[in-house]
Amino acid sequence: MTITAGIDVGTGCVKVALFEVGEGTPRWLGRAAERVRQRDPYRLAEDAYDGVLREAGLKRSDVAYVATTGDGENLEFHTGHFYSMTTHARGGVFLDPSTRAVLDVGALHGRAIRTDERGKVLGYKMTSQCASGSGQFLENIARYLGIAQDEIGALSVQGQNPEKVSSICAVLAETDVINMVSRGISAANILKGIHVSMAQRLAALLKGVGAFDGTVLVTGGLALDAGLVRALEEAAAEGRMRVEVKSHPDSMFAGAIGAALWGGFRHQKLQARAQLAIAS
Amino acid sequence: MIDTNKTTAAIVARCQELFDDLEFGSAREWKEAGPNRRVVAYMPIYVPRELIHAAGMLPLGILGGGENLEVIHGDAYYQSYICRIPRSTLELGVTGRLDFVDGFLFPSICDVIRNLSGIWKLLFPKVYVRYFDVPQNFDDEIGGRYYVQELTELREGLERLGGVRVTDEALRASTALYNENRRLIRELYAVRAEAPWLAPTSEVYLLLRAGMVLPVEEHSQLLRDYLAAVRAAPRPRRDNCRVVLNGVFCEQPPLNLIKAIEMSGCYVVDDDFTLVNRWLLDDVPLAGDPLRNLASAFLHRSAETSAKYQPDEAKKGKFLVDSVRSNGAEGVIFAAPSFCDPALLDRPMLESALDRVDVPHIGFKYAENSAQMQPVREQAGTFADSIKLWSAP
Repeated sequence: MTITAGIDVGTGCVKVALFEVGEGTPRWLGRAAERVRQRDPYRLAEDAYDGVLREAGLKRSDVAYVATTGDGENLEFHTGHFYSMTTHARGGVFLDPSTRAVLDVGALHGRAIRTDERGKVLGYKMTSQCASGSGQFLENIARYLGIAQDEIGALSVQGQNPEKVSSICAVLAETDVINMVSRGISAANILKGIHVSMAQRLAALLKGVGAFDGTVLVTGGLALDAGLVRALEEAAAEGRMRVEVKSHPDSMFAGAIGAALWGGFRHQKLQARAQLAIAS
Repeated sequence: MIDTNKTTAAIVARCQELFDDLEFGSAREWKEAGPNRRVVAYMPIYVPRELIHAAGMLPLGILGGGENLEVIHGDAYYQSYICRIPRSTLELGVTGRLDFVDGFLFPSICDVIRNLSGIWKLLFPKVYVRYFDVPQNFDDEIGGRYYVQELTELREGLERLGGVRVTDEALRASTALYNENRRLIRELYAVRAEAPWLAPTSEVYLLLRAGMVLPVEEHSQLLRDYLAAVRAAPRPRRDNCRVVLNGVFCEQPPLNLIKAIEMSGCYVVDDDFTLVNRWLLDDVPLAGDPLRNLASAFLHRSAETSAKYQPDEAKKGKFLVDSVRSNGAEGVIFAAPSFCDPALLDRPMLESALDRVDVPHIGFKYAENSAQMQPVREQAGTFADSIKLWSAP
């Protein structure tokens, strides 16, 4: 059996997943997630990785392949790096084998990725540079409204008369929100409006990659935002897409999981060629 | 005892300093170190630097202004659909950064550079300016005779500029020095192809750029020191895919673009940066007529790149395919400056040649001052992933 690790260095959060791979289903040995909160993400990733190894009773030298994803390519001890869409597709299929498209919604970007049953990327599209479709924007708005992050989803699903905000520009969207607050629009309807705007933008990305049916798994930091998932279901229905939008309790680890599993796959491939890279 | 001046980090830091210096301080110092010293600049891709050296002058490679030069005056001389290297080179000239240069050679690469030679003559009438043409016919009796005549005229021009005679003996001695320099660069490329984790391309590139501004003797020593340093200091081997980088021979990519490609999970095992160093594939013979020897090397033993006319269509792309095979590359990244006719017109033919032998490839464009590297990382990263995961076992 081979031990592999996946480290996903995101803008807002660092995630680590440890796996044992070989014949049959990979075994998930450990995990960690640390919010960056203005700390050095690489130091944080290293500490989280060591912590996961410690809990699993393993040493760095036991790990055959340390795969990074996200912004993790600067981690000194990595063996190989995989791009985010590659890892989220694989992680999505691991978490829910019926997955045929992944919506990775993180702090800065939203990505739609179409995948096959192996986790091979068939196509992808991502939001442009503006942050209005991102978790960071949502987090900022919640802070203005004095709402804790984990209350966002529950409040949003209560919204009955959402007012849409600009889905193109974060500055315009923030101005929209200020206007709404001054007009006495409730926090639930403001948040629902933001979710609707984000969902419409993400649904357009899904259409762009040709994901019209099958399971769409939401991954990334916003996967557990029930308000966003509900808005995505509604946007898909409005757009006459026959997709089932799902989330998974471990969705935020999809990138790290995918990195670890691709690392294991790659390790076996290199082993067969007698060209092993040097981990850590 | 390790000489700290000769560690990889120290050598690379020295090269980075030279690379960043848009006032060309080292060339100015060389000129000021002795009376009647002359500096002769040249543009990409190839000039016979042996002739300049044999005249006792310093050949100075000018590869544009790079990413840190703000072009203000240069834009006035060219249309918006022309690449950036002539504008930034003009900017260097009109802002006085090249005021110590006594001669400037504009080799045949494209119409833009040819026209730049004319603009330079008008703007800087006291500078010895020459458009250095090369043959498109590779028969010794036709293209060879023409090229020997071109070399003879250049030799005479340099003699007038320096007030010295360029003897055959001096030319043979200079050819020997450049043979050694080219041999060291071939060795550097061989080390990188064998173990690319030891000599990252971002470092190799800076070393090559140092050779554009340093005297050849000093550059050869720098190469020896770097080769010794990388062999003495092991570095971790990553699981990256191996690629050939093609199309970067004239306007140079920003250093960050090279770093972005490497960070995306690619080891560059061959490239066409600063081709003046590797245009001639092996040693130029020292016995016999030195000009004929240079001409023969150009005609028969030079790199088949987009800058060299290939009359036989069936052979187009063979040099690139051979490079992929001999360097164990798994794919090709075409990176070309926007509006670069030689690179972009050749690309479809080169892509076809790769398709015929099932070598994957991607392509993008850049300018020497491109700042946004995210698209490059995305393309190179997904390309690397596809090779690593889905190539044949």
